[in-house]
Amino acid sequence: MDELDLLKNDWNKQQGNYPKLTYDQIYKMIWKRSHSIVKWIFYISIIELLVATLLNVVFSGDQYWEDIEKNELSGVVTFLYVISYAITFYFIYRFYMNYKRISTTDDASTLMKNILKTRKTVKYYIGYVLISSGITVVGITTYLIVKHSNKDVEDISNYSYEAIDWLKFIGVSILVLTVFLGLIWLFYRLLYGILLRRLKRNYTELKKLEV
Amino acid sequence: MEKELEHQFVSNLERDQNIVHKICRIYTNDQASHNDLFQEITIQLWKAYPKFRGDSKFSTWMYRVALNTAITLYRKKKRGIQTQDYDSVHFRIKVDEYDDETEQRLSLMYNAVKELNDIDKALVFLYLEDKNYKEISETMGISEVNARVKMNRVKTKLKNILNP
Repeated sequence: MDELDLLKNDWNKQQGNYPKLTYDQIYKMIWKRSHSIVKWIFYISIIELLVATLLNVVFSGDQYWEDIEKNELSGVVTFLYVISYAITFYFIYRFYMNYKRISTTDDASTLMKNILKTRKTVKYYIGYVLISSGITVVGITTYLIVKHSNKDVEDISNYSYEAIDWLKFIGVSILVLTVFLGLIWLFYRLLYGILLRRLKRNYTELKKLEV
Repeated sequence: MEKELEHQFVSNLERDQNIVHKICRIYTNDQASHNDLFQEITIQLWKAYPKFRGDSKFSTWMYRVALNTAITLYRKKKRGIQTQDYDSVHFRIKVDEYDDETEQRLSLMYNAVKELNDIDKALVFLYLEDKNYKEISETMGISEVNARVKMNRVKTKLKNILNP
């Protein structure tokens, strides 16, 4: 292609036209902070886990634990905490490993594969957060309903509902749950989606070759 | 020891900084982004430097790390309004010896390259740098045959951009 040769010719002529940084300018640069995508994914995930843990501690004061004791639920709750923290730490570990594995000295294809692995971990993590929040909300609601109907209520007729009321109640609950989970999903899409979109496009481009 | 490494690295980069500038020119549209990318590449190079064993030339190793940063790690920021004229000014400086027609063909060509995606830009860049298909395949992590196929597709793409 003639045009490309012309371009190459000009490209070589441009050699002298580039900025010339001094030793000191470059030296200062190596101590600046990196703004690379993968580093941000790692940091965001850590911050997020910290915030989640903090919220948990703030919201579960003494009263919370007393209530749990009263209802003889401490066994179950402790068990659930252990499980959820185990899963959370597993994700921190995975994010960290992804971060470590990504090395600029790999070839472009390997590097992108590793970044996409990070992407997959992020997706699994979002999935986990969505499913576990869903289960928690449904679980608590069910528990409260069951609990409520077992209470010694003097006049049970005040508390009995028509079938249509139940349907309304369930409908509204599902709506609220959907909106709640939708917001979480949207939040994550914004958070990680922006960082990962361009990469995905490049990877598909590269992938076309391997056929 | 650390000081020695620092000195070695900075001197090497100072000598070969043109490679990084050239990559920045292909991947960015204005001076501010150019400087940003240059800085990010420098940081990535420095981070990877302890792994550089000197079994290849410093410049060869640089191509790989710098391109990787531009393609994958760097987060592009949209800055201001970019006009065609501004692009060309940043991208290349006019050379007096060309006539107007050549000058125009070149300008169209540079703008066409700007429209390619990051992977294709990398291929064009390596081609312009006179790298052979073996070197291109090593940098990109694809086979030599694939590099050839891909390069041909890029040429077709450029042709289509120039003559829509």
